[in-house]
Amino acid sequence: MSTQNDVVPVAPASETGPSAARVRDDVPVALTRPSRHRLRNVALRFSAGIGLLAVWQLVVGGFAPSYIATPIDTIRRIPAVLGDVQFQSDVGTTLLAVLEGLVIAVVIGTMVGLVMGRLPDVNRVLGMYVSGFYAIPLIAIVPLLTVWFGYTPTARLAMVIIEAILPIIYNVAEGSRLVPTMYLDVTRVHHAAWWRVWIGVVLPNAVPYVLAGLDLAIGRALIGAVVAEFVTAINGLGYYILFNVRSFHENEAMVALLVLVLFALVIRALINAAVTYGLRWYRPTEES
Amino acid sequence: MPEQSETLIRVDKLTKRYGQRDVFSGVSFDVKAGEIVSIVGPSGCGKTTLLRCVVGLMRPTTGTVYISDAPVVDPPEGVAMVFQHFGLFPWKTVAANVAYGLTVQGTSKKDAAPRVQKLIDLVGLAGYEKSYPYQLSGGMQQRAGLARALAIEPSVLVMDEPFAALDAQTRDVLQLELLRIWDTRRAAMMFVTHSIDEAVLMGDRIVILRGRPSSIFDIVDVGISRPRGRDTVDTERFRTVRDYVWRAVMHDSAADTPLPTDADAVRIEL
Repeated sequence: MSTQNDVVPVAPASETGPSAARVRDDVPVALTRPSRHRLRNVALRFSAGIGLLAVWQLVVGGFAPSYIATPIDTIRRIPAVLGDVQFQSDVGTTLLAVLEGLVIAVVIGTMVGLVMGRLPDVNRVLGMYVSGFYAIPLIAIVPLLTVWFGYTPTARLAMVIIEAILPIIYNVAEGSRLVPTMYLDVTRVHHAAWWRVWIGVVLPNAVPYVLAGLDLAIGRALIGAVVAEFVTAINGLGYYILFNVRSFHENEAMVALLVLVLFALVIRALINAAVTYGLRWYRPTEES
Repeated sequence: MPEQSETLIRVDKLTKRYGQRDVFSGVSFDVKAGEIVSIVGPSGCGKTTLLRCVVGLMRPTTGTVYISDAPVVDPPEGVAMVFQHFGLFPWKTVAANVAYGLTVQGTSKKDAAPRVQKLIDLVGLAGYEKSYPYQLSGGMQQRAGLARALAIEPSVLVMDEPFAALDAQTRDVLQLELLRIWDTRRAAMMFVTHSIDEAVLMGDRIVILRGRPSSIFDIVDVGISRPRGRDTVDTERFRTVRDYVWRAVMHDSAADTPLPTDADAVRIEL
């Protein structure tokens, strides 16, 4: 996540060939200015957060009934909630369902997306449905899922997959439609077999689009899991929140909410780490 | 010098039409074994389209291309191509990119490795085997592109403005490098460029395209002996040919006087 990564290192005056200096991609060039800039951003963000919490504390603490959550009470409840065995198991089941759903969504979504992007006939058949489902609030189909799968974790998993798979299909289809002609020319001139074109060119070319889709999918997967738990009342973080709010334990619900936020951040960080170490060739252009 | 040798590429009355508009029409020329033919013309005259038709990446509207006497329908065996924008796969290392042609032919990594290393050394990329394209300058990327093309030991090499995306200095260096490499393995080469100097420096003959739709205005015998190098551009003959081609491309009326053959010209000993 160094902001210097997108500076393409070019060996100056090295065109003479073998004597050219070894290009390094980890040389800290002029790190001071951007890092000072970043420090200021962090400070601003942090103080804005503190300010919001202070307003919340003052307004709710001063004027609202005592069962309404406040920042201070929420923080006080953290150790008790985290120590609660029921809470731990709820966190585990929800997290597992979200991860499982994301993996399934990435695998199937990428395959469907690639086929849709490369085969215009498939796109003609499926494209409308994907865009259609992508546009509607999928929460609407949770009641249907409970009929098909019962009030079970399977219904939740189905919901997570349905939520997560659409942005992945959509992005990958769009991205693989745009494989540069030049790459395909290279495969044709060298008589690459069709499967080599798919696995060696179309799939790696789609990686940035898979990641973009996955980025959207994480948030949607969490929504799917929580909503499914609200409706089916199966154990999990969503149901934990619902249950505690209904028993006037808002501060406990707030802790669960924080854990949900942490989920999203951790999953995203894990993916970023995997990309940095596993896909060394891939350099996303970073916003500054 | 091109000797009396077999014709490897024969382009026969080629016409390409997009919609109602002809890009080029009635283009015929040939490339013999061990010969470099430059294709030069103003931008938009269909040089790249012509080249894509020759290697079978595109179908001409009428006419036929023969490579080793077989009509070209799909890209034929033994033809390699160097692309203007390099065409390296960003997810492969330099070594894997160079090995690509061998890998897809089913050559095992072990068998390909020595050949790949030899080519990487030849194009001057030793030490960069494990680098990814984004870590290389444009000139180095094109060196890798050239090595990939040479890896399949092609009998026909087609170059699509290979140095057009590079800065002037890098281009000069790579032109001379290409001449040096070509002298060690003289494949028949079709060299598309919009640089007249480059066309003269590289080519044994120069096909000049012009007009709309473009057609062949003239095919010029360069008549400068090989090996060529940096001194070539300082010779009288180079200047004569360059001026002629320039006038021809720019529609100057002085091009109506045909270029004297190399027999009439002062021969430069190198």
